[in-house]
Amino acid sequence: MMGAAISRWTMSYFAAALVFLIAAEGLMVAGYGFPAAPMEAPETLVLVHMVTIGWLSLLMCGALFQFVPVLVATPLRYPALVLPAFVLLLTGLGCLLGGFLQLAGSFDADLPLLAMAGVFLPSGFALAVWVIAVTLWAGRPLALPARFVAVGLFAVVVVAMLGASFAFVLSGTSPFDPLIELRPHILTIHVAIGFGGWLGFTAIGVSYRLLPMFMLSPESERSTAYWVWWCGSAALLLIALIVPATLLLAVGTGPVITVACLLAFLALGLYAADLTFFYRHRRRRTIELNSSAALGAFAMLYLAVLLFAALLLTGTLEQHVGALIHLIAFGWLTGLGLSQLYKIVPFLTWLECYGPVMGRQPTPRVQDMVVEKRDMPWFAVYFLGVLVCTAALLADQPTLFRILALMPLMATVAIVVELIGARRLSNIAAERRLPPGTMQPRLFLPPTLNWRRS
Amino acid sequence: MTQSPCELDVRPILKEGGEPFGAIMAAVAALAPGQGLRLLAPFKPVPLFQVLAARGFEPSAREIGGGDWEVIFTPTGAETPKAVMISTADGPGWPEPSVELDNRDLNPPEPMVRTLEAVEALVPGQTLAALLPREPLFLFEELQNRGHKWRGDLEADGSYRIVIRACVGEKGRI
Repeated sequence: MMGAAISRWTMSYFAAALVFLIAAEGLMVAGYGFPAAPMEAPETLVLVHMVTIGWLSLLMCGALFQFVPVLVATPLRYPALVLPAFVLLLTGLGCLLGGFLQLAGSFDADLPLLAMAGVFLPSGFALAVWVIAVTLWAGRPLALPARFVAVGLFAVVVVAMLGASFAFVLSGTSPFDPLIELRPHILTIHVAIGFGGWLGFTAIGVSYRLLPMFMLSPESERSTAYWVWWCGSAALLLIALIVPATLLLAVGTGPVITVACLLAFLALGLYAADLTFFYRHRRRRTIELNSSAALGAFAMLYLAVLLFAALLLTGTLEQHVGALIHLIAFGWLTGLGLSQLYKIVPFLTWLECYGPVMGRQPTPRVQDMVVEKRDMPWFAVYFLGVLVCTAALLADQPTLFRILALMPLMATVAIVVELIGARRLSNIAAERRLPPGTMQPRLFLPPTLNWRRS
Repeated sequence: MTQSPCELDVRPILKEGGEPFGAIMAAVAALAPGQGLRLLAPFKPVPLFQVLAARGFEPSAREIGGGDWEVIFTPTGAETPKAVMISTADGPGWPEPSVELDNRDLNPPEPMVRTLEAVEALVPGQTLAALLPREPLFLFEELQNRGHKWRGDLEADGSYRIVIRACVGEKGRI
């Protein structure tokens, strides 16, 4: 019966993540990378990794440092490694983006930046994975949401190792020639395990705890949820085994990918049943904005599933894979991320600020820290924007895409402004804002002193 | 060392609305050195894992159908009398709760706020009982910061019943 504390660096991870998201959305409006440049162009790689590592992975790591201790009811192990992991991830990402810019000919530096990224990024992920994995290990036997996270950790190890291998190949320092030959297969695994395993599967796991928690739905572990875990894990394993299967068994990748896709569809179908259950059986009648905006993200996930199936059946997957990835990354993962940040940031800020005095004097309510009415239209603009951007990509209209990309950018900025307002307590009436014994939280840094005990 | 584990089925106790914690602790106390405990419960008794871990037992849980769980607590040989014991150290001998709260249908962090409000109103040494929607990890942290003692258990419906004893000479007051 140990308690869970506020994770000191989570807000810093969130802040850096949001900076990368806004920067990436800004670059899309500026016409940088895909669709103006080809999918495999270095400019596109800059954009893709700003979103996947800069935004989504930092968001995920920051969230896991906070929520894994809650999931397994045990304190975070090795919390001193959280900051070094952050510095390594940011340095590695800087090197990676710099390395891609070198490839694009945007600037010339006499540094093997990609190879450096191939060292720094896996090191940063290794530290983050170590902290979370040891915490999970201490919390065995694992509750189901934590098992999703465990699979996500395996996935990020695979993705980071494959990413590093690319970095070494592209920087001309790879000692393994076969890597170059197997590149198309490895790229498929890197992308599929990255989105489906690390980001997607972990997000699904966390949603199994966050949704019932904030909607007061029954939290008992459902058998469908177990099947989601088994089918999803099996699909990810099959994808990861494509290369060994090709090399050792001389079977084509076709059957393996088909089985993996069927399992993934089955997992997502059962997940849809569980999501419906959580929303239908909630005890909280009014749905708060975080949960209703999450509905938008889930709708985008299932639209992406339909789009994927349609592209497969019409044989146009290769042609439109960019649009599909856009819908998954921005519609589902980013939409879910923003909707949950909209609850998590005020909640953690509330705990940080008012925790020490709660019960001793009146405190504002968490829901008073944001103004839902003002923000609801922005979530609508966000999801609508992603939808029309995906349509523009499918219709091969890069100029139209740039114009429409303003919608998600503006909406994201508006939501981030609201989150900053929540951190600054600016929506709370001045006379109730800081009762005696409380301190204004810092925007994204932890309090320097453990003032609560002083 | 291959002594078969002692078996305890707490399902009938819970079915009758009883509190199985005492029976479990009595069974643990009666174990021979090196002997394990096989516990049958109508839910996964997660809070018990920490309590018994502190007494040197490692849990291994599996669902045995019908929502029931079998947990085998195996002695690891290394007793770890750490801070976790704080929650149970003063378990027996507490006065009857002077307040009973049902905070299950409140949105977080309201269950915690209401509970702490009631704790602050207690005279030192008095206890209160509260039903909460889930295991209240942030509340444990705050109770520990303030020096209160508590014990609790998951209920069959997944909610959590906590009994808190207000401390004498409170820590953490600003």
